[in-house]
Amino acid sequence: MKASSTCKHLKVALLFSLLLIFGFAVTVAVSDAESVTKTKAKTMVAAATQAAPAPAKKSEKAEAPKIDPTDTTSVIYLDTAGKPAGVGDPNKPPSMAYKAGRGWHPQALAAQGLPKDRYGLIDWARIVRENLVKPRFSLNPEDDEMPPLKMDVLITAKGDFVNDVIYPHEMHTFWLKCEICHATVGGPIFIPVKGSNDMSMVGIVQGQWCGRCHGKIAFPLTDCSRCHTSPKKAASK
Amino acid sequence: MRVKAGILIFALLLAAVPSTGLAAIGTIRFDDKIESMKKAGVGPVMFPHDKHEKTNKCDECHPKIFKDKRGENNISMKLNMEGKFCGSPNCHNSPKAFPLFQCASCHTGVKAVKKN
Ligand code: HEC
Ligand code: HEC
Ligand code: HEC
Ligand code: HEC
Ligand code: HEC
Repeated sequence: MKASSTCKHLKVALLFSLLLIFGFAVTVAVSDAESVTKTKAKTMVAAATQAAPAPAKKSEKAEAPKIDPTDTTSVIYLDTAGKPAGVGDPNKPPSMAYKAGRGWHPQALAAQGLPKDRYGLIDWARIVRENLVKPRFSLNPEDDEMPPLKMDVLITAKGDFVNDVIYPHEMHTFWLKCEICHATVGGPIFIPVKGSNDMSMVGIVQGQWCGRCHGKIAFPLTDCSRCHTSPKKAASK
Repeated sequence: MRVKAGILIFALLLAAVPSTGLAAIGTIRFDDKIESMKKAGVGPVMFPHDKHEKTNKCDECHPKIFKDKRGENNISMKLNMEGKFCGSPNCHNSPKAFPLFQCASCHTGVKAVKKN
């Protein structure tokens, strides 16, 4: 009698747990299926949002076929607002937008076939290295021309592993005057003495130091290895 | 007696099921390199394994990118920047996920820096 009642209890218990396992398996399968469809929807949304924030590029693509690349002088370039920003003929006087120091020429840039970096952005540093442009030194013809300053400064990165940074004056002073960094309105971005600027990567990401320009008018911070070029000494690997 | 034994087996089975097949890994904390992180002004990394399980298959990460054992990977920011681990080419070094310069998305304790 007693033995058979134990058996009964055991059987009931096993049955219950089997049911439970089955239940678990079903819910897992269902939630898996759900998450798959969800990620699909997500990636689609991501694709849509990625396309959205690049209106300049879009118009570039849409407008590109209308430009005759063989005759750049006849082209009138529009800025992103649709106003004339300049003409393709270097001998014609520059437009009002150009005089005001404004005017973005997406089509003009696209038509030139300038080299791009791995993010599809124009690689202004390579343009300098390959001598592809010859910008005027200054809008003011009185200004004395000054060659770029050939001076690299080593900036040590805090921490034990990340490569140190070599800051190249030459590339910067091709494009920029000393005052832009060393005598900036509202306080210099950098004091021109090695190691006297308490920089940090966290600050740079928040738009200070190198982050005043990089990610805005110069190559983006995503490109870590373009700044972090000098390996730390073998002592800490 | 017999009833109790039945209930015990039942309870054991109930506990065993989730702890084997369905154990959730949840969030993994990385702080091996805490000394280096302190110098850089960032805190430990909290890695949401559960979130990644939903968007990626196990074999996209294990064992190609990460060994599936806690503390066995020797991740560093240097290697992330060189395209390994978190910074693998299809991950936080691509448009598919947020970029590596968003320190605060991975590291805890990133403070706002005042100056200028
Ligand atoms: C894009 C910004 C930028 C521009 C433009 C720039 N510099 Fe610098 N300069 C720096 C940075 C960054 C440092 C390094 C500061 C540090 O180590 O903390 C530096 C350091 C210096 C130093 C100190 C070097 C040393 O070893 O102590 C001198 C001198 C200097 N710059 C002169 C110039 C001159 C002259 C020009 C113009 C021809 C110029 N800089 C243009 C960013 C700039
Ligand atoms: C525009 C140049 C530039 C780029 C791009 C850049 N860094 Fe830095 N990084 C620096 C400089 C300069 C320092 C040194 C700051 C200092 O004096 O401590 C630094 C320092 C660091 C440090 C050490 C911590 C510190 O505050 O010194 C880490 C970690 C770091 N960078 C990570 C990255 C990662 C990850 C990326 C890519 C997402 C990146 N950096 C891209 C310029 C750059
Ligand atoms: C005033 C703006 C400005 C600041 C501040 C600035 N940069 Fe630049 N940087 C530029 C410009 C403009 C270029 C050239 C265009 C480009 O490469 O996108 C450049 C180019 C570079 C290059 C050359 C890349 C190559 O491929 O040759 C490096 C490296 C670099 N910057 C590092 C730094 C570091 C490190 C800092 C901070 C210490 C810094 N920059 C601060 C504007 C700036
Ligand atoms: C986005 C990449 C990624 C995906 C996808 C992923 N994992 Fe992981 N997993 C990791 C990382 C990173 C660690 C932590 C390794 C470490 O601590 O060094 C980890 C750790 C683990 C561990 C060890 C946990 C511990 O406590 O020691 C196991 C087990 C594991 N994963 C299993 C899985 C399984 C099963 C899946 C699929 C459902 C999966 N992982 C999907 C990245 C991933
Ligand atoms: C995708 C996530 C992710 C992002 C974004 C990220 N980190 Fe890291 N970081 C890690 C992981 C993971 C480790 C390894 C931690 C460990 O194992 O101790 C790490 C380690 C570090 C270390 C210590 C190891 C070393 O190489 O020195 C520092 C310092 C660091 N990160 C700084 C930064 C800074 C500064 C930024 C922003 C520019 C940043 N991290 C952005 C994930 C990230």
